[in-house]
Amino acid sequence: MNRNLPLYLILPSLLLALFVISYPLYELINLSLSDVNRFGKVRGYIGLENFSYIFEDPLFIDAALRTVVWTVAVVGGTIIFSIPIAIILNTEFHGRGIARTILMLPWAISLPMTAIVWRWSLNGEFGMLNATLMSVNIIDSPIVWLAQSASAFPVQIGLGILVSIPFTITIFLGGLSSIPLDLYEAAKMDGANSWQQFKRITYPLLRPFINMAVVLNVIYVFNSFPIIWVLTQGGPNNETDILVTYLYKQAFSFGHIGQASAVSIAMFTVLLIFTIFYARMVMKNEK
Amino acid sequence: MLPNMSKKTKRSILCWLALSPIICVIVFPFAVMFFTSVKPRQEVFSFPPTWLPSEFIWQNYIDMWHATKFSDALINSLYVSFSATFITLLVSIPAAYALARYHFAAKSSYRLFLLITQMLSPIVLVIGLFRLIVWLGLIDSVNSLVLIYAGFNIAFAIWMLQNYFQTIPKDLEESAWMEGASFLQGLTKVFLPMAIPAIAVTAMFTFINSWNEFVLALTVLRTEENYTLPIQVYSLVGGRYTVEWHHVMAAALVASLPAAILFSWLQKKLVTGLSSGAVK
Repeated sequence: MNRNLPLYLILPSLLLALFVISYPLYELINLSLSDVNRFGKVRGYIGLENFSYIFEDPLFIDAALRTVVWTVAVVGGTIIFSIPIAIILNTEFHGRGIARTILMLPWAISLPMTAIVWRWSLNGEFGMLNATLMSVNIIDSPIVWLAQSASAFPVQIGLGILVSIPFTITIFLGGLSSIPLDLYEAAKMDGANSWQQFKRITYPLLRPFINMAVVLNVIYVFNSFPIIWVLTQGGPNNETDILVTYLYKQAFSFGHIGQASAVSIAMFTVLLIFTIFYARMVMKNEK
Repeated sequence: MLPNMSKKTKRSILCWLALSPIICVIVFPFAVMFFTSVKPRQEVFSFPPTWLPSEFIWQNYIDMWHATKFSDALINSLYVSFSATFITLLVSIPAAYALARYHFAAKSSYRLFLLITQMLSPIVLVIGLFRLIVWLGLIDSVNSLVLIYAGFNIAFAIWMLQNYFQTIPKDLEESAWMEGASFLQGLTKVFLPMAIPAIAVTAMFTFINSWNEFVLALTVLRTEENYTLPIQVYSLVGGRYTVEWHHVMAAALVASLPAAILFSWLQKKLVTGLSSGAVK
């Protein structure tokens, strides 16, 4: 066998990935260190000035802090809801196949479409959410959900959780099916109740799957753009901006290409740190 | 509860009760989509809003199809998703085969490289990608999306395929080679037919990712005839003074159907495929 054969086999994928990912990254590093006009023309090297600009911009700081809240709340909420749902879906009951399919549905619809449908459902005057909540007496007057950040942002977090649940329970179902059933039989013989069984068997054995779900969800949610963009575009008054929407506005609404590139590089650095965590986890699992 | 009810029936009732809140939240937007899409126009904007329309206007779907130029966007989306899926598989299958079958010096560094590319989403690189597309002269062209979606899907595709390829016994193609088959014959006649399930699942994942992508299409596509479905539907909502919500909901429902059908059909395969890959 030709000893270079494996290299030839990976070459096409390597070239395409390098072209699509490495070249833009190289451009971004250059731009983040340059004075760039709004048409993208580079006017010279300015060192870290773009970075000091964004770190002094209170809107950037707010967006960064909000990204932390957004990521922690969405990922935390997703995990907390997904564990019991996955456990229920893992037990035998009538109609389990239907229940699994329903729970997977949010995954099947793209984020922009989901966000568009919710934007209409949340409409203060004609939206069905207000109508439904009023008909069951949870609220007594319509709420204009997206008009102020105090209600818009929690709604966006809730939606973020909803769309992250299917992927997460998929991982957990895989994990639960790998737990041998005789462990529970033995625990029952020893008189363990359901909570003890969860604490002593399910949780520890599910732990690697939970870690994996946390890291992957952190990466997805940190990068997630459509929910916030479609519902509020980061408004009102930039009060629901997270880093990705801040970045997008800086680049394509205000033409601050250099500063926006600096935001990209800062986000890339954070993602790289997550990636190192993820890589270590994958390698540890492979051993 | 009735004493003669079987244990499983009791458990089923409890399980469905426990799941009912989340099921309501999941079904809610689908109900909104469906009922809004069949309402007469004046009832969409009537206060207080009601769930059921006074009559079902199926004509809305036909009107929407013309008013939103739905078929153009549908063709663009199909073209982009099929092409991106094809290119992804074309480069990923050989790479996954190499990673699954051979030991070579660059193997672990290549896997690390793939891992890093997997972490990045188009939004983080959007300015760099935009410049790449300008440089290629592909602004406002769906072909730029094909290229970039393929590039971003490679990592996932290789990882998924490689995990499966490892489970196919090596002896099969080796005995074909012993019997005098050429390298390519051994692969295409013996190995690839065995790998079809994994290739199909990977293809569908890539297809759905491309079908749903938003931010790059939003940035790159400039004229309506080039819009993909998510952008076309979004353009009916964003920055408009009056939104024809019954058309928007009909369009959203029709645009979502292909992926929804694929998903419910694939659901079981996904669980086994993903979990065998996720934690190995």
